[in-house]
Amino acid sequence: MASEKQHTGGSLLFDILQQHGVQHVFGYPGGAIMPIYDALYHSEVQHFLCRHEQGAAFSAVGYARASGKVGVCFATSGPGATNLITGLADALADSIPVVAITGQVATSAMGSDAFQEIDIFGLSLACTKHSFQVTDIDELPKVLHKAFAIALEGRQGPVLVDIPKDIQLAAVENSLEDFSQLKNKVKLPPANVGSALALLNQAKQPVLYVGGGVGMANAVDELRAFAKLAGIPSVSTLKGLGAVDPEDENYLGMLGMHGTKAANLAVQQCDLLVVVGARFDDRVTGKLDEFAPHAKVIHFDIDTAEINKRRKADAAILGDLKVNLPALSIPLSIDEWQQKCQQMNADYTWDYNHPGEAIFAPAVLKEVSDKMPENSCVTTDVGQHQMWAAQHMSFNDPSNFLTSGGMGTMGFGLPAAIGAQISRPNDCVIAVTGDGSFMMNVQELSTIKRFQIPVKIVLIDNGKLGMVRQWQDLFFEGRLSETDLSDNPDFVMLATAFNIKAQEITRKDQVTAAIEEMIDHDGPYLLQVKIDAQENVWPLVPPNTANDQMMEKK
Amino acid sequence: MNRYQLAIQVDDKQVVLERILQVTRYRGFLIDGITAKVNTGTHIGYIELLVRSDRPIELLVDQINKLIDIKDVKVTSNTA
Repeated sequence: MASEKQHTGGSLLFDILQQHGVQHVFGYPGGAIMPIYDALYHSEVQHFLCRHEQGAAFSAVGYARASGKVGVCFATSGPGATNLITGLADALADSIPVVAITGQVATSAMGSDAFQEIDIFGLSLACTKHSFQVTDIDELPKVLHKAFAIALEGRQGPVLVDIPKDIQLAAVENSLEDFSQLKNKVKLPPANVGSALALLNQAKQPVLYVGGGVGMANAVDELRAFAKLAGIPSVSTLKGLGAVDPEDENYLGMLGMHGTKAANLAVQQCDLLVVVGARFDDRVTGKLDEFAPHAKVIHFDIDTAEINKRRKADAAILGDLKVNLPALSIPLSIDEWQQKCQQMNADYTWDYNHPGEAIFAPAVLKEVSDKMPENSCVTTDVGQHQMWAAQHMSFNDPSNFLTSGGMGTMGFGLPAAIGAQISRPNDCVIAVTGDGSFMMNVQELSTIKRFQIPVKIVLIDNGKLGMVRQWQDLFFEGRLSETDLSDNPDFVMLATAFNIKAQEITRKDQVTAAIEEMIDHDGPYLLQVKIDAQENVWPLVPPNTANDQMMEKK
Repeated sequence: MNRYQLAIQVDDKQVVLERILQVTRYRGFLIDGITAKVNTGTHIGYIELLVRSDRPIELLVDQINKLIDIKDVKVTSNTA
């Protein structure tokens, strides 16, 4: 078969993708990437045609996050490439390994304002971990190997490879070479284990602050072993959800702007914060100067630049969490503090009591969480539904909760769910979305239709841009500027147009049966859940406020 | 504002200078001067950057160091 192939830059690309174990790619063809799509025609790599390049990028992100593999997406030059940018920015903010391949106009035309020419290489600087433009066919293999290595090494991230059309068409004579893994160039200073152990031993009220880095480092087991042995109360960031065993009696839930009261109070009172793969994001800390004001800090991370960036570390443990966490796993004598935290957890449980017929979104999401099959993967969009999902759903691994954390990108949920489902065909994948976010990449329903991807969509519909509306009510004296979406399309009819089974529910007594029908349905399904537009996400730490000054449901 | 002088050694790769300039601006440092040259034999570039900012220079050094093609970053002068 190899002898029948015409070896070009395009076909070499697929040979190298296969060398790296790539089976699935997401993309959209166009003029300047046609030689690659021509080579795809003969390739064993399976391509999923998305209906917008942003959808392709988010599907690659979802694929990577659900599977731990590198996600790959393709786009043509010009608008195809610029449409990838939001997805790459999202991957950069959440440290997701993605390799994006863009077609470029031929090298002879570059720099001439040619049709569909944009300097995507220049545009990539701010939204990728690294990027390449291939101007010599002999460089192509090395560049592609490096792209995969850079995406995966150290703190993971997106890498863009821009390939001009003549390079895609160029004849390739050399046979495929073995590649060697790139060594991590970042030389990390030795871990400060001695002083960290001393801090840990001295602490009377320590808290473990768990971030997305734990899942990225594949260190969930080590983290749980540490938490269990130390018996340390723990809190999680949005992206860290699933890392701590949700059944751990010392786990207090998510911290930050919409964190649990117990988690935020514990952090504000603690005398030591053990930060693992987290970065003191502003949505976590609230007013930075008043965040965990009495705490010393032990900071575990793979990225030197995160140490002392927003909060000084008293001990820094740089490097692989899988290696470093066991070095600090010791039993602690903190019974009194444990009990105090457990009591706070018990005192401030969620209240699902909600009078009236109207559906209460937190209760719906809790029920979905309780009823979904084991190892289901949930994606979200961004807004109120996202925070309710984070608060009221429970995950046993970070790869089972995919949400746009750092970038907060509306439109993430549906395409990310498509990518997740393709990487994990045997697991149930549920996209929890809102009526605002859903419309941002609604064209991907077509991708679901084409490949009959059995994603379940839970659309929390308040006919508003709910989170912005909430802030307008709370902080802008109720001036509801451009947040009304009451003229949304008929979502059931819309789903039906894509051969997706759909149902709308409006009353509490419909919830249980509808969730069961959705989960049992063999194929894609959209469940539209109408809720009261006035519901707010509680608790809420107002902007630039200390985390113990949260607003609560009246 | 504090002024700093950085000595940066790089692999002479595509857009490495643009990357340094972009990171410097984004992280809140103003550029007062720059000299850059490449040893065409070793393909190693040397960049001297004069910057000023209210922010600690370590923030910028760490971020420049993260760029893939950087070999070394040193603060050679600090007039805080």
